[in-house]
Parts: sequence; C-alpha cells; structure tokens
Amino acid sequence: MSGVTEVKPVEHTGEGEQEDRRTVLASAVFGGLMLVAAVLVVVDAVRLPETSAVVGPAAVPLPIGVLLGAVGAGLLVRARTRLGEAPAGPERPTHGGLRVCGMVATLVAFALLLPVVGYVVSSAALFAVAAILLGAPRATPMIASGWTLAAVIFLVFDRLIGLTLPTGPWGF
Amino acid sequence: MDQFGLLLDGFAGALTPGHLLWALVGVTIGTAVGVLPGIGPALTVAMLLPITFRLDPASALIMFAGIYYGGMYGGSTTSILLNTPGESASMISALEGNKMARAGRAAAALATAAIGSFVAGTIGTVALTFIAPALSGFATSFGPPEYVALMAVSFVTVSALLGPSLLKGAASLLVGLTVGLVGIDSQTGQPRLVFGIDSLLDGIDVVIVVVALFALSEAFQHLLAGTGHSTVQPLRERAILSKEDLRRSWPSWLRGTALGFPIGSLPAGGAEVPTFLSYSMEKRFTKHPEEFGKGAIEGVAGPEAANNAAAAGVLVPLLTIGLPTSATAAVILTAFQSYGLQPGPQLFSESGPLVWTLIASLYVGNVMLLVLNLPLARLWAKLLTIPSYGIYAGVLVFATLGTYAAGGTTVDLLVLCALGLLGLLMREAGIPVAPAIVGLILGPLAEQQLRRALTLSEGDPSILVSGPITIVLWIVVVLALLAPVARRWFRSRRRAATADSAR
Repeated sequence: MSGVTEVKPVEHTGEGEQEDRRTVLASAVFGGLMLVAAVLVVVDAVRLPETSAVVGPAAVPLPIGVLLGAVGAGLLVRARTRLGEAPAGPERPTHGGLRVCGMVATLVAFALLLPVVGYVVSSAALFAVAAILLGAPRATPMIASGWTLAAVIFLVFDRLIGLTLPTGPWGF
Repeated sequence: MDQFGLLLDGFAGALTPGHLLWALVGVTIGTAVGVLPGIGPALTVAMLLPITFRLDPASALIMFAGIYYGGMYGGSTTSILLNTPGESASMISALEGNKMARAGRAAAALATAAIGSFVAGTIGTVALTFIAPALSGFATSFGPPEYVALMAVSFVTVSALLGPSLLKGAASLLVGLTVGLVGIDSQTGQPRLVFGIDSLLDGIDVVIVVVALFALSEAFQHLLAGTGHSTVQPLRERAILSKEDLRRSWPSWLRGTALGFPIGSLPAGGAEVPTFLSYSMEKRFTKHPEEFGKGAIEGVAGPEAANNAAAAGVLVPLLTIGLPTSATAAVILTAFQSYGLQPGPQLFSESGPLVWTLIASLYVGNVMLLVLNLPLARLWAKLLTIPSYGIYAGVLVFATLGTYAAGGTTVDLLVLCALGLLGLLMREAGIPVAPAIVGLILGPLAEQQLRRALTLSEGDPSILVSGPITIVLWIVVVLALLAPVARRWFRSRRRAATADSAR
C-alpha cells in the first residue's frame, strides 16, 4: 500500500481541480465586480477630451474596459455552470465575516486618527485590536506588545532613519 | 573580460565596511521577515522598501539585495518546518522538506536547502554577471515595437503560468492594468479614473498594492477562516549535511540550477515553472524513488536550487530590458525607480558602477546568508513559534507603516484597506495575485511604448509586426495563449483513451 501516497504537484495546480462552492461564489462576485469596473473604465475613457496626439489618452483604457467586461462575464458564466456540482467547502468558524468588518472599521479609524493622535498611540491600538480580533487569548500582553512595537518603530524610523511620522499633541 | 574589471570595481564598492554593514542588516532583516509564515519574498521586499528610502542609492540597493536574497532563504525555512509556503515557488520544498522534517530530518533538509540556495545563487549570479551586459548591448537595438511585443509575451505567460487557469490569470492581470491606469496620463496630462479625488492624481503606489494584496488579504483571510494551529517541526541538531546527504544533494543542486537560471532569465513569467520541472526531473533521476512523497532529500535540493537560480535569472530581463517577470521583480523595479534609476538597456551604461556594486553585493549577500543560516537555523526556527495573531497584527502595523511611507495621506490608507478586501475576494475565488502586480508595473510601461510606436508610424498598427524579432515574439504570444487549450485537449483525449482501454 505504500505506493498509494504518490504526490503529483504539477497536476495539483492544473485546471482539473474541483472548486468548492465558496470558491465558485467568490469568483462569481469577482466577475460581477469586473463588469462594474468595465463600465466605470469605459465611461471614464469616453469622457476624456480629444487631444492632438496620434494616440489619445483613451486608446488603452477602452480595450482594457472591454477586456474587463469580457473576462468578468467569462467568470460569471463559468461560475454559473460549475455551481451545481460544486461540493461544500470546509467548515468555517462563525462570525468570521464580522471579524473582517471589525478589522476594516479598525483600519479606517486608524487612517482617520493617525494625523490626530500620532503614530505611536494609533499603531499600538491597531496592533492590540488586530491581535484580539485574530484570536489572542488575553488583551493586556497584546497592548503591551503593541506599545513596544510602535515605540521601537517610531524611534528607529522617525529619529534614526528620518522618515517623518505623524505626531500627536504629546510629541510622539 | 571587460566585465571582470567592472565587477572587481563593484566588489571594491561593496566591500567597504559601511556597505558590508548594510548588506548584513538587509540579509538579517530579510531572513527574519521571510521566515514569518505567509510572507513571501515579494511582500518582504515591499514592506521593507520604505526602510531603504532614506539611504544613498548604493547603500539602499545593497541592503535591498540582502533583503531579497534573505527573504528567499527565510521562506524555505518556513516551508520546511511549518509547511506553509509563502509563495508558490517554494511549494515544492514544502512538499518534500516538510515530510523530511516530520521524519526528524529537519536539520538535513534545512542544510541542503541553504547550501543548495548558495550554490545556485552563486552560479546564477556569475551567469548574470556575464550575460546581462551582453544582453543589454543587444537590447539597445530594441525600439518601441519590440518592447510592445515583449510585454505582450510577459502579460500572456504571466497570466497563463501563475495561476490555476488562463481566465483567472487574465482577471488578475486586468485588475493590475486597471489600477495602473489611475492617475494623470503622462503624455497628455489628462486625469484617468480619478473620480475627483486629488490624492489619486499621482496614481496608486505599487508598494500599497503589493502590501494590500499580499499582506492585508492574508490577515483578512485569517480573520475569516480562523488562524488554526499549525505545528512547527522541532529542530534538534545543527544544520549540517552528512556525507551521504551531500553525495545525494550536489547533482540535484546543479540540475536545479541548470533548469532555474535559463528559464528564470526568459522574458516570460515565473520562478514556479523551473521548481516544478526540477521536482519531476529529480523524481525521474533518483536512485531512491521509494522516498519521494515521504521526504526525499533530492526533492528539496533540486527545487530549492532551481528557485534561487531562477531568482538570479529573473534579474536578467529586469536589469537589461526593464521587464519584471515575477511579483518580486516588479517590486524591485519600483525600488530602482524610487532611487531614481530606470532599469533597461541604458542602465549599465548610465549607472554602471552602481549596478556592478549591486551585483557584487549579491555575491556578498549569498556568502553572508550561508554563514548566517547554518548556525542560526535554530534561532529562525524559534521565530516560527510566535503565535499567528501576533505575527499578523505585526504585519498590519508594518503594512500601514509602508503605506504611510510610500504615500503619506489618509486616502492612501483607505485605498490600502479597499485593495486588501479585493485581495481577500481574489484569494477566496482562487485568483492568483502575482499577475496583478506584474500588470500594474508593466501596464503603464507597455502603454507608453505602444503610443510611442504608433506615434512613430503615425497611427499605422503594422509597425508592431515590422521586424523579425517582433514577429517571433507575437508568435510566442499566440502559442502561449493556445497552450492551455491544447493541454486540456490532450488531457481529455488521454482520459478518453484510458477509459477505452479499461473497458
């Protein structure tokens, strides 16, 4: 029976691989997004004014827009035909989507607060919240690590290398 | 032997104490970050790029070369001990290497990977030294039509080779091309896809896209799927090869190098292909076929050597034509541009001393890595015991730092977040990320050359197929497009044939 566990890496990356239901749905959503992007790109290209150049600014975006539409439609059609026979994927933990939303909200808050409260405070908070969302068992060590990491980065990059990082009202 | 003198000058530049220090720093940081699971060389290089911004170009390039090679070494340590390859090129080393580690032979696997990488990296760098200047002389005769055809070859091969299917590869490539359109059109000054947001006028920085698609999407996916518990294989002994292992390894190193460098230096995508080829070759040549799939040392030595030789090979089209053929090479191109250098045929003539210093520091970095990796393998293995929530929280901090350093505005951070979500969707859909990075870098360059060509011919598209070189390249494009279709046809025929004979 020892010959059974043969490994075929090349074939594994080939096209014959069966996709699970989640992958098929995700590629359908991606195809849909590409169709939206196609419309945006084409509308944006058409609105560009004529110039005296032989090849204007719209010459390249237009075919890209068309290709976006074609490939997006291709993905949608392929997902439609494969959805019926796609097996269910492996179980996922609950609230995964919620955690991603939480992370996105944290990142947006980070982007908005960075110029206000400075690099060290916002990065320490980003580290702690991210670690907790990712499943850190206790919060206190994460807050401590976040502070340490952010402070070290600030010292090395801002003071040593000279990359100016935003500071809060307290100077770091 | 003109190159030899220039290379010696390069060594004189690279071997100053200051530059050696930067090389050491780069190699150490590169290995340390590359070891972290889920972080491949492309991301390592992109995240650490801002560190090099404030140095003078020579020190920055030297440190950067160290980070690049260090990231590659670190990645193989992770695939062997943890079985989570940071990128598809080290998938094969995970395959056999992790099996070896599970059988208690982690030290031998790490040693053959490290020495194999050194051998391949050194031979690859020697080949680069002699081929690159010659090729760059040849490439000076290229006009815009040749460039357009070359880039078309890269586009098609990158999307066909770097993913599960041509359609998904093309989808990823188009994402990159679309992002590359954002900003002011360099030739007419017209804003494209800006939607009235001023910060987008300069375009979206490559570092932001790489960090978002690789790092943020990885962190998001861990949030979605739960981080899970991967077991690190313990490393008990020092990483040394026994005589028997050495005897079995060295032919594989040389075969891997012989495959990796030439294929890597083709202006077509992918360090993945030579590693796969090397694995099947080792499987065919081995005297111990029963060990394959259960931890054969040849299956680590060959692909690791092929991977590193290809990494040196990728620098050939990058330095001589300015054509990146992997995500990592695309980031390196950005790094060059941020130091005010434009890779291409003129690079060797215009910034010769700097390039030779870079090539010399590749040799130096390789030696340093060997010295650093064999004794320190245990220390790197310790890094793997950092819990994954800590690693990805840290990655997010460095991702936002890199983005801030590259762009410096709130909008850049919001773009980072949005592209991270896009990257998550691509991962979920099984769409490869690397073609997007190559498309993002090559798209604007291809557009520029295309418009230059058509301006020369006053709008006549026949200029694109005017010379023998362009005609050959376009034939390659057509063949590469037809290859997946042909492969599928052959496979279904073979399947039908086996079904027939079974009946």
